[in-house]
Amino acid sequence: MSDDNDFNKLIASSLNMGRRTFLKSSAAGAAALTAGGGLLKTDKAEAQTYEPYPTDNQMETVVTSCAHNCGSRHMLVAHKKNDVIVRLSSDDGRYQRDGCYGKDTDEEPQLRACLRGRAYRERIYCPERLLYPMLRVGKRGEGKFKRVSWDEALDFVAKKLIDIKEKYGSQAILDQSYAGSSYGVLHKSDQIDGLQGRFLGMFACRTSSWSVPSYQATTTSSKWTFGTIEDGNEDDTFAHSKLMIMWGWNPAYTFHGGNTVYYMRKAKQNGCKFVVIDPLYTDTAATYDAWWIPIKPNTDAAMLAGMAHYIFDNNLQDQAFIDKFVQGMDAGTMPDWATDSPNGKENFKDYILGKNDGQPKTPEWAEKICGVKAADIKKLADMYATTKPAALKACWGPGRTDYGEQYNRMAAALQAMTGNIGMLGGSAEGVGKAWHAEGAAYPYDQYSNIWFSSIKSDRWAYIVNNYPNVAREEAGLWPRQDNLDGVVPNIRGIFWQGSNWLNQLTNINAEMDAIQKLDLVVCLDQTITTSGLFADVLLPICTHFERHDVALPWYKGHYYIHRPKVIEPLGESKTDFQVFTELAYRVGNMTGMGDKFGEVYNTKATRDYWNNPDPVDEDYLRTWWEDRVMQHQHVEMPWVEFKKHGVYKMKLDRPHVGFQDQIEKGIPFQTPSGKIEILCDELARISDWKKTKYGYHIPSIPKWIEPFESLNHPTKTKKHPYHLITPHPRHRTHSIFNNSAILRETYDQEITINTSDAKKLGITTGDKVEVWNDRGRLVVPAYVTQRCMPGVVSIPEGAWIDLDKNGIDRAGNPNMLTADTPSPAGSFAYNTILVNLRKTDLQHRAGWDETSVSRSHVFGRDI
Amino acid sequence: MSKEIDKAKIKAAVKRRKRETYKPVVPATQLGFIHHNVDCIGCRACEIACKDKNGLAPGPRFRRVSYIEGGVYPDVYAYKVNMSCNHCAQPACLPTCPTGAIFKRASDGIVDIDSTLCIGCRRCEAACPYGAPQFDPGDNLIKKCNMCVDEIDAGRKPYCVMACMMRVLDIGPIDEISDGSFQTTAIGPGDMPVKQVKNMADPELTKPSIRFIAHSKGGVQSKQ
Repeated sequence: MSDDNDFNKLIASSLNMGRRTFLKSSAAGAAALTAGGGLLKTDKAEAQTYEPYPTDNQMETVVTSCAHNCGSRHMLVAHKKNDVIVRLSSDDGRYQRDGCYGKDTDEEPQLRACLRGRAYRERIYCPERLLYPMLRVGKRGEGKFKRVSWDEALDFVAKKLIDIKEKYGSQAILDQSYAGSSYGVLHKSDQIDGLQGRFLGMFACRTSSWSVPSYQATTTSSKWTFGTIEDGNEDDTFAHSKLMIMWGWNPAYTFHGGNTVYYMRKAKQNGCKFVVIDPLYTDTAATYDAWWIPIKPNTDAAMLAGMAHYIFDNNLQDQAFIDKFVQGMDAGTMPDWATDSPNGKENFKDYILGKNDGQPKTPEWAEKICGVKAADIKKLADMYATTKPAALKACWGPGRTDYGEQYNRMAAALQAMTGNIGMLGGSAEGVGKAWHAEGAAYPYDQYSNIWFSSIKSDRWAYIVNNYPNVAREEAGLWPRQDNLDGVVPNIRGIFWQGSNWLNQLTNINAEMDAIQKLDLVVCLDQTITTSGLFADVLLPICTHFERHDVALPWYKGHYYIHRPKVIEPLGESKTDFQVFTELAYRVGNMTGMGDKFGEVYNTKATRDYWNNPDPVDEDYLRTWWEDRVMQHQHVEMPWVEFKKHGVYKMKLDRPHVGFQDQIEKGIPFQTPSGKIEILCDELARISDWKKTKYGYHIPSIPKWIEPFESLNHPTKTKKHPYHLITPHPRHRTHSIFNNSAILRETYDQEITINTSDAKKLGITTGDKVEVWNDRGRLVVPAYVTQRCMPGVVSIPEGAWIDLDKNGIDRAGNPNMLTADTPSPAGSFAYNTILVNLRKTDLQHRAGWDETSVSRSHVFGRDI
Repeated sequence: MSKEIDKAKIKAAVKRRKRETYKPVVPATQLGFIHHNVDCIGCRACEIACKDKNGLAPGPRFRRVSYIEGGVYPDVYAYKVNMSCNHCAQPACLPTCPTGAIFKRASDGIVDIDSTLCIGCRRCEAACPYGAPQFDPGDNLIKKCNMCVDEIDAGRKPYCVMACMMRVLDIGPIDEISDGSFQTTAIGPGDMPVKQVKNMADPELTKPSIRFIAHSKGGVQSKQ
């Protein structure tokens, strides 16, 4: 009976049952038991649906986090038995300081993981896991490998590296590291300055890739306009907005921050009005009951210009704000030097009103370009200019287009002209990066980002395929101050670390041509990937469940999550840090440097790091916590206590709003002028564009520029009449998790088509559709819906290509169709694609091996 | 799971089952689900949390988030209906079971299956108007949501509820959910829980222990 009482108390406390109800139900429960006795088996069952079945309380609980490359970072709690993770749960309020089960306050909300995070066991125990080093035995891309020892694999790589550097010089190895699934403060894979960049830079043979696939338009725009990419608010501020304009933003799919979608529910309950501008009626639009404005892809800057015209025309701009904080918005805010500058003579208002080109950018003008009715453009402009605080959230997707930077800059101009910057409930996003985390526990010094050329990331295949007939502006070379300035690299090898870029960059067919021309392709990853199939060497990297690290949010959220080594590394997998350290020792000893290279590369370790990394990792992390987090961020919790809790949630003095100090305290913006630069200083002073990393002319104020293809193209639309967009899927993080059958069960890789278009083409939901343009072909099933703008089709990015003998991708990866022609600012043209489509008999293959299933469900049961 | 069949045990159970007259179990407190159809972003974290918790391979899905959409471009709408087992007051599955493997807990009304008695005949699967029982061909068993009884017994809520990023899925005593006295984030200010939404089987069939906050275009006039 005492057991029953305990159970009833527990249930009462967890279900908010008052004491009265609890007493009543206990008594009734006893009666029911008596009445039901003898008829049916109503007592507690001995066996349940899923015996044998260890309960959470019978297992060891370890707090950790997810670690893939999305804008979020959530808590995962591993429940393990022996050395096997049996299941995962997430934050339930228990683990934080002063935590208890169910604690979930606005100030310190639970960090609940999404479907991708919850499926992590599918990744750890998947049949695609790389468990041993392997060397290619077939042709590149054929997928034939043999297992070798670490000794053999590392010596092969070291010798090849030395050989290539001797023959081709310091630019010959292309660093294509990316945030894969290794994002942590210690074991960092990163495009710019992660562990691989450090290794190749110190080896003095590195071409780096500077443009970021996700959001280069946005980062460039924010750096020009605000002088920083930290233009964001923390997600709790959204609850204070009265109007939320979500431009190309679908956080119901991307999540994008610790609790972004949850706080916006609070905004909705507080009466906030939502507007979604998107070719698709997204789940975000549905959830927040938004006014949906469908727009032709790649025309967003035109619509924003139309809104700006309405605001100027009706004198609704916040002139006081403009006069005080903005440069180049109108004649009155133009700097004196501008009239003599090579590229900065025009102000934004004159451009919008058509003073110089004779074309006022009226809502009617915009309607012809973007397909949104002038009346709606005016209505939205009026709402935005007259509601305060109002958040215009200009997200990244519309920027992943040709001249995507103009969209982001135009949005920033609207944010500035309405004075919605630096205000609680407003927004200057953009990039959206808010609270600044201490990001580097690994050695971060003068060797962290050495490079000998740096290219626009999606130009690598073009460079390889056309070398030496490549101009510097075609490569998008970052300027240097030495004799390597303007020297286009002769790329002979690629290193992938946590990176599936062959699959994820544009124009895969061009990449597949280029990859065959190289002398060395090295892939460090946790699973085989599309890229891995093309590698010469596969080096197995353990997941973050198998090494020690700390997770940090990088987009929104203010917390750290401890990531202890939950289980031992599977197979012979090692950490990235171990691999690069050992490679440094080997290369050093082969080139006469001795152990020096290894010792400087991994400053706290000896060569024994290969066998025993744990004490060194602990040392790095403790030092980072004590010297940076505790010192810089005034955190008092000692390292040991943080490790015990597993999570540290910051309490901020006030909601974090981007540029609040600049507006309230008059602190200058980080731009050359100290103001919000609608007229960009840097751009205004440029005359020789070829010598810049942009390569081509960019106006110094935001302008509408026609993309190389769109639904408005007079001739291209005849051959390829549909505009394809390639948004992020919900069930993958880019290409990560494409191999998870239980995630593939929740969503299909499919093409979304408007009902009227589908009718014309004789396509119904579930039909297989062939999609093509001059760059490639693919096959996907159709999803026919009224939720998609006519003329527009959508295929989510990230499926692992699966080519048939004719080179048609049966998996449906839209990068078979994208163009490798970035905008001047470096934005990838992922959403600038014209295609044609038809119903087909060709089969679609959702997974490489449809029957392959992760072993994770087995470990959930028979253990 | 390798299952050893105890034929004698099953025979005895069938014999007992035939002798018995079915009399509904009236639980002390009937627990049930509440789901907000509009504020749910449809992310399916609950589904995957459930699959992971219950160690399910692709195939059986205890919890299913259905996407409903309607209207004509550009006046469209969409919402989600999230359902697993509704732990009905009068479960249709229970009397169909030839071995009596399905039972209803007297304490909280959770409907569960004794897997050692299940013979995988799938009669319950056919009987349930909500598609709750799921056949697992790997184990030749019917499995379904048991509201994470182990978590309930430990004083916690089921995995799906604790997975909800929007806090719009919850469990509680169904009477209190119905009359609005149950404190939960699943119900927003001014929201009224309903028993039935569009395209859902008549709740009078089995009296499911689930309530919804319906979309303005997804509601059904309740008969009661």
